[in-house]
Amino acid sequence: MAVTHDVPPQLDELVSTAHRIREAVESVVEGKSDAVRLTLTVLLAEGHLLIEDVPGVGKTMLAKALARSIDCPVRRVQFTPDLLPSDITGVSAYNQQTREFEFKPGPVFANIVVGDEINRASPKTQSALLECMEEHQVTVDGVTYQLDSPFMVIATQNPIEMEGTYPLPEAQRDRFTARVAMGYPEPHAELEMLDVHGGASPLDKLQPVATTAEVRALIEAVRGVYVSQPVKKYAIDLVVATRHSPDLRLGASPRSTLQLVRAARAHAALAGRDYVIPDDLQDLAVPVLAHRLLPSVEAQGQRRLPEQVVTDLVRRVPVPETRAS
Amino acid sequence: MRLSVAAAVATFCAAILLYPLFEGGSWFWGTLGAVLAVLAASMLSGRLSLPLWAAPPVGAVALWVYLTASFAAGKAWAWVVPTKASVVELARLFGSGWTDIQRFAAPVPANAGITLLTCGGVGLIALLVDLLAARMRRAALAGLPLLALATVPATILADPISWPAFVIAASGFLGLLLADGRERVGHWGRAVLVRRTTRAAAPQPPGAAGRARQDADRVRETADTRGLRLSGKRIGFAAVVLAVLVPAALPVMEPVSFFTFGVGGRGAGAGNSISIPNPIANLKGQLELPEQRVVLSYTNSDDKPRYLRIYALDTFDGDQFGMTEPKGSPDNRTENGPLPPPPGLSRGVPVANVVTDIRISDEIAKLSFLPLPYPPRQIQVDGDWRADVGTLMVFSTREEAAGLEYKVSTSEPAPTSELLKSLPQSRPDLDDRYLKVPDDLPPEIRALADEVTKGARTSYDAAVKLQEFFTKTGNFTYTLQTQGHGNSALKDFLLRSRAGYCEQFAASMAVLARLAGIPSRVAIGYTGGTKVGDRWTVGTNDSHSWPELYFEGVGWLPFEPTPTGSLGQGSARVPAYTVPPPDRTGDGSTPTPGATSSSADEPLSPQGRANPRELDREATLQPVGLPAEEPAPWPAYVGIGAGVLLLLLLVPAALRLLTRGRRLRRLDGAGRTGGAPSGLDGADAPQGGSGAGVRAVAGRRPNVAAVWAELDDLLLDYGMERGASETPRALARRLAERYEFDADSAAALAAVASAVERSLFARSPGEIGPMRQDLRTIRRALAATVSRGRRVRAVLLPPSTLRRLRRLGEGLLDGFDRLESLRLRRAAPKGS
Repeated sequence: MAVTHDVPPQLDELVSTAHRIREAVESVVEGKSDAVRLTLTVLLAEGHLLIEDVPGVGKTMLAKALARSIDCPVRRVQFTPDLLPSDITGVSAYNQQTREFEFKPGPVFANIVVGDEINRASPKTQSALLECMEEHQVTVDGVTYQLDSPFMVIATQNPIEMEGTYPLPEAQRDRFTARVAMGYPEPHAELEMLDVHGGASPLDKLQPVATTAEVRALIEAVRGVYVSQPVKKYAIDLVVATRHSPDLRLGASPRSTLQLVRAARAHAALAGRDYVIPDDLQDLAVPVLAHRLLPSVEAQGQRRLPEQVVTDLVRRVPVPETRAS
Repeated sequence: MRLSVAAAVATFCAAILLYPLFEGGSWFWGTLGAVLAVLAASMLSGRLSLPLWAAPPVGAVALWVYLTASFAAGKAWAWVVPTKASVVELARLFGSGWTDIQRFAAPVPANAGITLLTCGGVGLIALLVDLLAARMRRAALAGLPLLALATVPATILADPISWPAFVIAASGFLGLLLADGRERVGHWGRAVLVRRTTRAAAPQPPGAAGRARQDADRVRETADTRGLRLSGKRIGFAAVVLAVLVPAALPVMEPVSFFTFGVGGRGAGAGNSISIPNPIANLKGQLELPEQRVVLSYTNSDDKPRYLRIYALDTFDGDQFGMTEPKGSPDNRTENGPLPPPPGLSRGVPVANVVTDIRISDEIAKLSFLPLPYPPRQIQVDGDWRADVGTLMVFSTREEAAGLEYKVSTSEPAPTSELLKSLPQSRPDLDDRYLKVPDDLPPEIRALADEVTKGARTSYDAAVKLQEFFTKTGNFTYTLQTQGHGNSALKDFLLRSRAGYCEQFAASMAVLARLAGIPSRVAIGYTGGTKVGDRWTVGTNDSHSWPELYFEGVGWLPFEPTPTGSLGQGSARVPAYTVPPPDRTGDGSTPTPGATSSSADEPLSPQGRANPRELDREATLQPVGLPAEEPAPWPAYVGIGAGVLLLLLLVPAALRLLTRGRRLRRLDGAGRTGGAPSGLDGADAPQGGSGAGVRAVAGRRPNVAAVWAELDDLLLDYGMERGASETPRALARRLAERYEFDADSAAALAAVASAVERSLFARSPGEIGPMRQDLRTIRRALAATVSRGRRVRAVLLPPSTLRRLRRLGEGLLDGFDRLESLRLRRAAPKGS
């Protein structure tokens, strides 16, 4: 940002930590700074990320790189049609020695869970994961286990191979704070990738640059970012606009408003601001809102994607209280 | 159905314009009834789907029945059905009404005959309007009969129609047009292209959209003409307002151009015939003109004012004096040397030879007679002007007097009383028409003539007694408020009211003189006027009429029965020879107007007349001694108009400057308080038109608000308007990128954007420096990117100010809409 102004001291540290994480991740995933930034934003907003793109563009790489750069437990689950809910949450096994049932935590007990090709698992399994995402807890055999903080699920989804998959229902997509499309890298980034990846995997060289405690502090700081009344109203205006758009069959939920503002806080904090501005909301509107929306039949006929609809809405909805009339 | 009603309403509204013509209100209810009768007939034929040709007869029958019922019910069968007797009765009433209308001047008493005529006339107009609008569907054409109705009072009365009446009449016609348009569009389909009120254009709250859609579905079965109707009303409203207000704002039409001397009514210029004017009709009109216009000016060799005669009216038909068609043979052209000798003037009478140089104003229309002192002997004038041998009127069949300048030499007889007394009392050698009075002249008038002239030994004595009767003994008063002219008017004037103006005085004296055996005629022209500078100036209120009496041996001599001076016609004067000999006015100290002014006027000096004029009735309209206001030449008007236009065009620029100045002052004020924390809460919010956003900014930082509003306006002026969703930061980025700002400008822009952003959204905005310099930098940078034309426009016609003005206008219109919809719901007709 071209504008410099006073950064509150407590944000200084935060920004530098976030910056370190970003740099670390970007050293692995070249030319995808927007995606990296969004990933970080979602992390700080205590949300979950859905990465949707064709195979081979670095979805898993991004998730892994983020996990690696923070010194925290990372689990990766490859979703397959035969995956069971207990494969995610964990099982209670009978311990012969103690003669008690003992809980074997599943992969969900980690700070960052990477769910690869989440749409390949059965809905039952999907919903097990989604419950954890929302509740931040796991209940097995009547016992509830709290999940560690930070807790972030990065799920990837392949929109091309739809054979034998169970696409996430809209209700479940709603749980993801944001969706990001990786997109193909720029030619020069791809060239660089060839050079770097030619030898060993860059992930191996990646050293953690932040601790869980640091990330927790970051999240705490983000919670304190100020959202003024006009900005809240603007967020509501944006969300309400999706509900009244003739191009959309399903608008965004109140949960999305919550997540939009939360993400905007993180976005502002990453920019070194202790207050949210409408620009934050504008930047985040497409990744946060688009995946929750269903285009109307007319819009589908015109091949208008929800992303385009949201972009249009952002352009149309007036920014509150800056209009001179 | 709706059209029939609208047509009836329009007709009745137009009929209201007739109000100044009547005394009393019976005509009002009568016309209302006539209109309703026609309306009922129209609805009936509409209901029965009668063919087009059948509607007017049905309407006419309804009207006939109505007239019979209200005016001849006694003679009709069952009060309603016309019988032979009722037809006769109506015809009789019609005849008497016709006579009354001929006889009375407006306002006429609304007696049965006149009311019948009015009701019948309005009913016929209603019939026509209904036929055109409701049957033939030519609502616009229906304006013609309505216009005909509206022109009746306009042509009869000199006074303009009062504007509320005009508004009512115009609204009636507009209502008719609206109803017609609505019917028409109703058959087309949905109306588009109507202005949306700002309320309608605003995004609808959730839920309202659905309801609105339902509403729309419900009304879609018939075309939705609500918006159109609104537009129609708005246009009509604007038209009526303009029609009322614009004439008030325009310079007054010059009445002089409109008064004619009557020539041309019957085809002047068509061949060599000359049409006879009705000069009397013009006289009062001129005397009543609201302001004096200069008619002519003259100088003469002895510098004394003289009456200037235009017409001599020689025939009296019992109602009024008229003029025999003047005859001018080619011998009597003015260019052929001296005119025919004045009739009756013998050599022994002393004459005053005077040369008068007359200049007629350009504004006189259609005057083909020359105003001349009597008797003219020789005239130097351009064009084919000829003299009538009998009256010495000089006229032309081709030329007009407007703008003419000519020289006339006169031999004015200057007889003394003694001379006149000594004239032989022989039968005057003159055409009989100067003595002719109709046989049916009321005997009271004959008796009066005998009584007044009783004891007169000579005709001169009789004439003097007559003049004295009018000016002294008869207790006549001078007033312009008289009714009509004619036989009864003459009787009324002489025997009862004894109030009138020069026309009545002159005509009455002429009539009485004839009855006393003195040949007489009525001269019409102007008095000698007022001296302005070195010229005598004659204006419209110097219009005058006086009797000329004939004495064998002296010829025609003017007399002056009209009261002169302060209580009469100001510039009139009494000729010296008409003053009674001293032995009879020994007690002449009686300060009657005639006596005083006659003595004052004896030397005919302008000073002598100056005093009485000060209280002069007509002169109160125009101060004496001041030159009549010369109308400014048209280039001056164009110049003034252009100046006003220019000033109007500069208004937006001035407003813009004012706004900017106000904002910069606020900026300075805030700058002085420096970076005080956000304690400057909203007390200093900008007033007027800057809207909620700026007010919100102002709530925290008045100077930031000022800068932001100014920046917004600046962008609008230069055509780079900020989008609705453009944040300050995005704006700064866009401008800096698109217009390639240099570092300074970009920094200034960023600083402003950041300040606004912090004021609006941050918990505490922190330090905000003075931004005046930033603003200037930005303005300069922005100005550098646009074309010169755009810059000029931004200064002269700043779009930001125009937009504000437009908003103001829209707000007003919305207000009207609300008013209209309020009234509409209640007044919407059920039919159709």
